[in-house]
Amino acid sequence: MSEQFSRRDFLKLAGLGAATTAILTGCGPASRYVKREPYMQMPEYNYNGQSTYYATTCRECAAGCGLIVRTMQGRAIKTEGNANHPLNLGKTCARGQATLHGLYNPDRVTDPIKAGSPTPMGWDTAIQVVADALKNNNPEEIAFLMGMTPDHLFDLVSDLADATGMNAPIRFGALGMFESRVTLSKAAENLFGVAGLPFFDVGGAQVVFSFGANFLETWLSPVSYTRGFAGLREGVTKQRGKLVQFEARMSATGGKADEWIPLRPGTEALVVLAIGRLAAELKGGSMPRAFSGVDVLDAASRSGVKLETLEHLATMFANSTGALAIPGGAALGQSNGLAVAEAVLALNALVDNFGRPGGLYLSALAPNETDDHRPASAKEMQEFVQKMTDGKFKVLFVHGVNPFFELPNSLGFRSASKNVPLLISFSTFPDETAREANYIFPDHHGLESWGYQRVATGADQPVLSGAQPVVSPFYNTRATADVLIAAAQLAGGKFSQALPFKDEVEFLQGKAASLMNEANGSFSAPDILTFMAYFQQHGGWWKTSEGRGIPDAAGVLNRNLSGDAAEFAGEGEFFFVPFVSPTLAEAGANKPWLQELPDPTTTVMWNTWLEMNPKTARDLHIENDDVVRVVSAAGAVELPVYLYPAIRPDTVAMPFGQGHTAYGRYAEGRGINPNDLLGQHFNEAGDLAFAGMKVSIEKTGRKQHLSRLESMIGVYGEGMGEEH
Amino acid sequence: MIKRTFDWLIQPLGLIAVGIAFLALFSLAAYGIYETQQTPEQPIQFPHRTHVAFGIQCLYCHPGAARGPAAGIPSQSTCWGCHEQIAKTQTSLLLKPLKDAVESGTPIEWVPVAIVPDFVQFNHRAHVAAGQNCENCHGDMTKVTIAENPQVMNMGWCLTCHVESAGDDHEKLIKLADCGTCHY
Repeated sequence: MSEQFSRRDFLKLAGLGAATTAILTGCGPASRYVKREPYMQMPEYNYNGQSTYYATTCRECAAGCGLIVRTMQGRAIKTEGNANHPLNLGKTCARGQATLHGLYNPDRVTDPIKAGSPTPMGWDTAIQVVADALKNNNPEEIAFLMGMTPDHLFDLVSDLADATGMNAPIRFGALGMFESRVTLSKAAENLFGVAGLPFFDVGGAQVVFSFGANFLETWLSPVSYTRGFAGLREGVTKQRGKLVQFEARMSATGGKADEWIPLRPGTEALVVLAIGRLAAELKGGSMPRAFSGVDVLDAASRSGVKLETLEHLATMFANSTGALAIPGGAALGQSNGLAVAEAVLALNALVDNFGRPGGLYLSALAPNETDDHRPASAKEMQEFVQKMTDGKFKVLFVHGVNPFFELPNSLGFRSASKNVPLLISFSTFPDETAREANYIFPDHHGLESWGYQRVATGADQPVLSGAQPVVSPFYNTRATADVLIAAAQLAGGKFSQALPFKDEVEFLQGKAASLMNEANGSFSAPDILTFMAYFQQHGGWWKTSEGRGIPDAAGVLNRNLSGDAAEFAGEGEFFFVPFVSPTLAEAGANKPWLQELPDPTTTVMWNTWLEMNPKTARDLHIENDDVVRVVSAAGAVELPVYLYPAIRPDTVAMPFGQGHTAYGRYAEGRGINPNDLLGQHFNEAGDLAFAGMKVSIEKTGRKQHLSRLESMIGVYGEGMGEEH
Repeated sequence: MIKRTFDWLIQPLGLIAVGIAFLALFSLAAYGIYETQQTPEQPIQFPHRTHVAFGIQCLYCHPGAARGPAAGIPSQSTCWGCHEQIAKTQTSLLLKPLKDAVESGTPIEWVPVAIVPDFVQFNHRAHVAAGQNCENCHGDMTKVTIAENPQVMNMGWCLTCHVESAGDDHEKLIKLADCGTCHY
């Protein structure tokens, strides 16, 4: 035997044997065996072996969509939209579907914890800590930082603050920051005198001009606006309506648009005014003051949009019977963002679509709501952080938001928190903020909790979305409302007078009771218990009549509108456009379903990438997956490049959603947070001018392969040989 | 490399090696399959035959079978409804896991024996309504302790029964043999 039977051959045969066995045994039932835990005590309304369905509210973002959750033997197994809910009419987005991964997340905080202590503390001690914090400090030294959601907990804390002189709760969220909500509502206040979120009826329109609003992915109420988009494409109007998207980097909304206008970042106001002027000329009559000051030729040259294009767009807008213009996202995240928002709203005034189908409305206020409680702007957060730095707060309660991750590093929340002696987080997950807190008193997951949530925008009717537990809590967690009520009772005095409730449910009943006598409700009931039963069963309470307001158009066109270009911070040569990942956003990164869901435009998963035009990349000798260093005035990060032809050559873009340093095993240490590049650069409304940074790009010489769903072969000639 | 291996394999010693390797693989696979066909470990050695002998109907513990897709596993309160009144429950070693679970309020983790893959939509209700008895699929429970599968529940087995049930009724046959009946 001249040839030896080599070790490698042996391993091959052994491997073959193992694989055969694995495959054959894998066919057997053992691979499918799972354990099942039946109820210990079966609830009386349950049948063994049959699913029970509960109506509740999705808590993954602040929109407030209704959910129907299917449960089997006490376990939630599937979420779907509530078909009767006026906001989402039976639909959900990916985040709503993945809410189960939050419920069953292996990294949840299971018990109340004191930082540094190896053993969990009991709830009695935890409540005592909260009670002491309330009692032993001056009310003005106690602050609440909450998420964007206008929910029952916000009402409870507001009531407590009103009665005791504590600081009113401040609400913040990265989604609100990247959507420039404050700028939009400030523009509405300036023009219409109402500081609410306008509602844009995309569904009934014929021509929609969207300036930066990525409404099919993340903007304000994506499920509602996606439905509107279906309406635009024949659903309502029976004609194929047109969408034109103005943005430097093509989003999925831009991808679905008929025309994508990649204007130079910062010149949005100029383009809007130029279109307005041209459209007004086409319509005839006197030139409105709002558009009279703009030089169209100058606008064309500065924005990089051809004059013919502007003329064609203006014709399309002016000649349509249902034209609508939407401001949002990165267009407002400029130093002149407020001017952009005002100019776009004025464009609507030009075609007089206020309060008409396919036009602009004021969002309906939710039941029980007197005026729109908008979340804080980044500027207000800066003031809040300053107070923390100055030692004005002795106690800071954080719920529903993760400021260590969601606020740009440059605002200094992390270092300011060191000046707050007692930081208590109510987070369900071990996020960045909770990790640094003195105590974590975990709230239930959304599917384990009671509550209600106001629908801020997106529905025709005033909607109060209801939430109820669909499963019993898995861990030793407790509702934050219950913790605060119990602590207030312990603290006594004005605290116990402010919250004289047995528990959260009694508080909710008290708030909902006033709706029993309201007219045009989706249901009515003779007593509160029956009313609450219907409230849970229907998934909330809403009016059956239209609740949207009609903006006052008087004087809108008689204002002077500024078309000044935005100012950019930093020395770099590229415009930097951070955008919110539609799947991960501020709190989705700990859910594997969402991590594994390909990004709609690039199909990248599990990572962060820098989008760069192939032409720019060729000039810089950069290829796909090359790691580059992005430097802004505020910081620097390193990440791989994705060559993306649908972006201006002078612009780079990066998704927001990854880059966690905590937040569980699926989120931690993965990707980059674009917030690290953002400086303290605000617009007139106080929103962060997040798209107003310039960055420079340096090669590092390293490569990091991005996991993508699509193959790159054949894309931009890759892998096709030199001739392509 | 492949040719050299092949040359080595066709010489007598090589053939013997191939034979040994084949036998080893075959027995390994056979053992693997045998292992997978064993009834799974259960937390309690639940004697079906004893309960059936007392005259307890299948649907008393698995009422879901008459109403919906899954027969369901009875809750502890169902077990305890009877066992609380049986003196032996307090002393029997076999019943200790049940007693402990009920007293400590911890759920018992059962392992379902007869399960079909996720891509099969099996509904008990339709089968009970069509007059099928439990034992037609699950075997004679008067004879077993822990539930066992008397047959491999694969597609051929399901389809044979469906075709037989249809008999000469052509319309029924089309309905019962349609892919979409179970895969939807």
